Amino acid sequence: MTGSSASSRKVLSKIATNRLQKELVEWQVNPPSGFLHKVTDNLQRWVIEVYGAQGTIYAGEKYQLQVDFPEHYPMEAPQVIFLHPAPLHPHIYSNGHICLDILYDSWSPAMTVSSICISILSMLSSSTVKERPEDNDRYVKNCRNGRSPKETRWWFHDDKV
Amino acid sequence: MYNPKALCSAPWARRFGFAGWGELPWATKTTELALSSSFSRAVYSQIEEIGWEHLVKVAEDLSFVTFRVIDKKERVHELEILLDKSYPNCPPSVSADVPYIFDLEWSTNSRLSDVVKQFRQHLEKLQQFWSTLEEIDQSLWISDSAQLHRATPYRHINIGNDCSVILLIHASDPRSLPECHFMGSDEQVNLLRDKWRRNCKRWTKDKLFTENLANVLEVDLPGPPGIEKNDQQIECGICYSQFLPIDDELGGESGGKTDYTCENSTCSKAFHSVCLRDWLRSITTTRQSFDVLFGNCPYCSDPVAVKIGTRT
Repeated sequence: MTGSSASSRKVLSKIATNRLQKELVEWQVNPPSGFLHKVTDNLQRWVIEVYGAQGTIYAGEKYQLQVDFPEHYPMEAPQVIFLHPAPLHPHIYSNGHICLDILYDSWSPAMTVSSICISILSMLSSSTVKERPEDNDRYVKNCRNGRSPKETRWWFHDDKV
Repeated sequence: MYNPKALCSAPWARRFGFAGWGELPWATKTTELALSSSFSRAVYSQIEEIGWEHLVKVAEDLSFVTFRVIDKKERVHELEILLDKSYPNCPPSVSADVPYIFDLEWSTNSRLSDVVKQFRQHLEKLQQFWSTLEEIDQSLWISDSAQLHRATPYRHINIGNDCSVILLIHASDPRSLPECHFMGSDEQVNLLRDKWRRNCKRWTKDKLFTENLANVLEVDLPGPPGIEKNDQQIECGICYSQFLPIDDELGGESGGKTDYTCENSTCSKAFHSVCLRDWLRSITTTRQSFDVLFGNCPYCSDPVAVKIGTRT
């Protein structure tokens, strides 16, 4: 569904490759709990399984995150989306796009794939309702051409959920 | 050290004559203002010439102005210039965190920019002094390091065996044999003094300061207590590598080590200035003034300043 823009991606720069290799090693030594990343040859796209935390409304559920790295990572944020089916959550659109500031405006090279995953899990865990964002249909319609969430001008919702 | 908020609001407000509501009533001030207006105009236009973005502080009555000046090694300095009403007929007095101040060359045609220019030349002369002190601070065990300023020409160095030495480094000739004062038990101190007397001719300016010191004292000097931590800090907080890739595009910085450290002592994250520059360039909140980018440390958000363009 999403990710058609991925085909036109440029190869990773040397700096991006070095850094991702180090992040990958760190992930293998010290993976964030609740996540499983099966390492493949593809350094530029990681597919990570997310397990809903115990005691939350997503307990026992399993989702998949797709993380695509830009040529100049970490100067630019990676593109992070949920693969179908995306969890029902007030900040997650049905096309898998996630409304989370650190993936866009608030990204900093001090963050890592691992820290993003932890933020996403904490976003899931703090939700009390399983529902889509109010503007889901309109937003998803606008993204039909396979637009990346990084091209969206996000208006960040509250930070309660 | 410098406060970016002060840069945005205060100087501009004052530039447009807003003196604060506390100054009312206006009438009593008018005559005084008229008298000082030619002085104020001169000072404002001279600040303008240097650039408002370099201004850190300015007194409401313009009795002093403080500018930020960045040296070759990207150390940030503040230059305070005291002006009295006879300015520019009398030279202003200057102060800064430097081991010794320069003699200001002044004529009635001189301007604030001449002061900044002479300060820059002075900083240039002090580069070796600061590099020597940085070498000492990075590789030796310094006591009271928290109280050190850029002006401080001495270091209290722990040399093991419950002994220490205070070294006074000559600011104008930092690589030369320093003056020393040993502290510890009498017995140990006498031994050290003997060694110093015997070996001090081994001190040569072409060797590193710390190397000379170890040669003269004939000991392995202990490193800073947090040295294990330092090992990790050497990696760049952005690219995670100790060395930049070998790449023609990087020019002289190809394969280089980390050369920038966040000045916030609780952060002290190391970066390649190339990486920090690339990051600052990729976000919209970064400000640029001449060839310096001003932004925030990606880790602690404290202000950072990094020069653009390749350095020699």
